Amino acid sequence: MAPINLSHRRTHNLLLISKLLSLRDTASPLTLVLDSLEQPATPLLKEYIRRAKLSKVHVTLIAFETLKQPDGVDAFVSTRRKSPADIVKEVSAVYQPVAASNPSRRRLILIDSINPLLNSKRVDTGFHLPSFLGSFIAPTLPSAKVDASLVVTYHQDIPELPQQSPYSPTPISELTYLATSIITLHSFSHVLAQKAARDRSLAPPVFGLEEEQEGVLLGRLDRLVGTGKAEGIVIELEHRRKSGRGVLEWYLLPPASRYSPQHLKEIVTLLDDNVLYNPPMERDLVAGDEEPTSTFELGLTDRQRREREGVVLPYFDAQHNDGPGEGGRILYDMGEEDDFDEEEDEI
Amino acid sequence: MPSQPPLPPLLAPYVSNLPDSSLTLVSSILGATSNWLVLRFLHAALSSPSPNVAFGSDELQNGTKKKVVLVSFMRSYEFWRTEAKRLGLDLARLADKQQFAFIDGLSELFYAPQPTATSPSISPAGLGSSPRTTLPMRSPPGVVPGRSPQPAGPTVTGVRGNATSKQAEPGIAKKLHFSGRGLASLDALEKDISSVIEQQKSSMEDGDELLLIIDQPDLLLAATGPSMGIGATEMSEWITALQQHAHATVLTLATDAPLIHNASTSGGLATPIETEHAALVIGLAHRARSVMQLRTLDTGAAKDVSGVLRISRGGGLNVSEESLEEREALYFIQRDGGVKLFGRGES
Repeated sequence: MAPINLSHRRTHNLLLISKLLSLRDTASPLTLVLDSLEQPATPLLKEYIRRAKLSKVHVTLIAFETLKQPDGVDAFVSTRRKSPADIVKEVSAVYQPVAASNPSRRRLILIDSINPLLNSKRVDTGFHLPSFLGSFIAPTLPSAKVDASLVVTYHQDIPELPQQSPYSPTPISELTYLATSIITLHSFSHVLAQKAARDRSLAPPVFGLEEEQEGVLLGRLDRLVGTGKAEGIVIELEHRRKSGRGVLEWYLLPPASRYSPQHLKEIVTLLDDNVLYNPPMERDLVAGDEEPTSTFELGLTDRQRREREGVVLPYFDAQHNDGPGEGGRILYDMGEEDDFDEEEDEI
Repeated sequence: MPSQPPLPPLLAPYVSNLPDSSLTLVSSILGATSNWLVLRFLHAALSSPSPNVAFGSDELQNGTKKKVVLVSFMRSYEFWRTEAKRLGLDLARLADKQQFAFIDGLSELFYAPQPTATSPSISPAGLGSSPRTTLPMRSPPGVVPGRSPQPAGPTVTGVRGNATSKQAEPGIAKKLHFSGRGLASLDALEKDISSVIEQQKSSMEDGDELLLIIDQPDLLLAATGPSMGIGATEMSEWITALQQHAHATVLTLATDAPLIHNASTSGGLATPIETEHAALVIGLAHRARSVMQLRTLDTGAAKDVSGVLRISRGGGLNVSEESLEEREALYFIQRDGGVKLFGRGES
C-alpha cells in the first residue's frame, strides 16, 4: 500500500507545491509562512521572488524589517511610521501604473514580517487584521481586476503581547484561520536529528530558543553543512482546497546555490523521497541473502539431503494404528551400531 | 602568560569588514558581558594598520578609513576610554581626529539638564534622579565625592577646540536626554544621534565607512516600557532609522533567561518587560546578519575560561551572496585586558 500511496503523492502533491510557489491559477490567495530563528523564511521568499521573475509577476514587498530593496522586487513599500490604512493605500498606488499598462499581469505581495504590526503600540483598537489583509487581495475598486497573491511571514518565536480584549482570538489563530495555505519551515539538519532520535525511541532534540539555555538564541545550524548533504529547507505544507479538503505534505527545498536562477523545472522534492531522510532499504535485503561465513560447513550435500528426506518420522507411524490407548509405545528399531545395555534400559 | 594580540585571529573576520547596511547583534548575559567584544569592534575599525597586527587582518584595513560612533546606554565614557587604552586605542585622540564620536546615553538620560549644561559640576538637586552614575568605573579620586557624580574625565589631555567639543566634557560628542513619551521622545533621541553621525560624515571621503555601535539600547526599553508608549516595535523601528544613517550597525543586547524565556513559558503571566524585551531581541535577531552570543560555560566556572562565544547566522543574512561560517569558541579575558579565543580542547 505504501508505495502506491507515495507515487500518488509524488504526482499530485508536487504539482500542488509547484502551483503554489509559482502562483499559478491563484491557487492560494493568502499564504501564511511560519518561520523561526532556526529556519528563517528568507530563502523561501527568495524562491518566491525568483519564480515570480521567471513568470513576469509583479512583486511588491511590504517591509517591516527589511532595510534595502532586495533584488527582483518591483516595488518596495517601507512601513516605518505608517498606519495600516496608509500602507494599503501605498501598496495599491505602486501598482496603478502597472495595472494601466498591462491589466492582466498577476501580482505577488510579500510581507516580510507581520509581527511588528501585531505588536505595535500605535495601532488603534479599531485595527482589524482580516480586513487589512483582505484589502490587499481584493481592492476596493471593483473595476480593477487584480490577480493578487499575498504571502505573509510570521515569526513563531516572537512572543505575543497580551490581548486588548480577553475574548478576542489571538492574531496567530486569526491568521491560521484565514490562510488558504500554511507553510511551516524547519531546518533540514534538525529534522534529520529529530528523526534519528525518534527512530531510536528517544525524545527528539530541541534547538535554539527551545533549549532554554541562558544566553542561547540560535542553535548551531550548520552542524552538517560540512558534508554538504543536509542543506535545504523542510517545508511543511497545509493547503486547504476550495472543496474544503485539506492536504498535508512535507517537502524539501534545496539551497539556492544548487540551481541556476533561470532553472525552470521543479526543484522541490518530497521529503520522503530524500535519501538522507528515508534511506533506501535495498541494502538490508541484499545483506539477508548472503550466508554467514564460518569455518563450519552449514550447507547440505545432495546425498545428505536425499537421506534426510527419506527419514520416516515417528508420528507418521503412529497415525497407522487405530484408536487411542496405544500411546506411549516407543517405536525404535535397533540399528547395528546401537549397543544394547540392559541395565540402562530397564525401567 | 604571553600577551595576546589585541584582536584574536579567530575573531578578526567577524568583527572587521562588516558589509553595507548590515546588522550585527551581540548578546550577553550577566555572567558574560559584552564590553570586551565591543572593544574588539572598536579596535578592528579604528586601529591604524601597523606591521605587527595579527596576521590576516592588516592588509584588509588599508583601503578604507573607518569612523565609529558609539552610543552607550550602560557604561560611561570613562569606562570605554580606560578600557580602550589597554588595547592601545586613544579614544580622546581619535575623537580629535574626528574618527570617533561618543554619545553618552547614560549619565543624563533621565536628568533634566541645567540651562548651563556645559558646567561640569552639577547641582545636588540632580543626585536623586541619576543614582546609577555614582558608580563610574575607576573614577578619579580627585573629584569631590557626592558633589559631582558625573564622570567628568579630567584626566583627558590633549588640545581641544574642534567642532566636536561643544560640550565642556572632553570626548563626549553629545549627551542624550529623554523627554516626553512615546514616539516623539524616540524621535528626539534619533535626531540627536543622527546629528552626530552627520557631523562625522561631513569629513568623510568616498569609500569611508561609518560604523554605529549602540551599547545596550534595551535599557531604553526597560526604563520606559509600554506604559510610556514604547514597545518592541517602536524600539526596532528606531533602530531601523539609525541603521539607515550608518554603513554597518552593531547592537549589544541582554539575553538573560528571564528576559527571553519567561514570555513563552509562563503562559501569559509574563510581565510587560519580559514580553517586550523578548520580542525586541528575537525580532532583531531575525533581522541581523550575524548573532554573536556570549554565555558562561555550561559546566560551571573555570579558572582559565571566561565564557563561550557562539557566532551564528542571523535571519537577515543574504545566504546567496555571502557565506558566514558559524562557530563556537571559548574565550578567556586575561588580567591585562587581552582576550584569548580558542576552540574546545585547545588552549
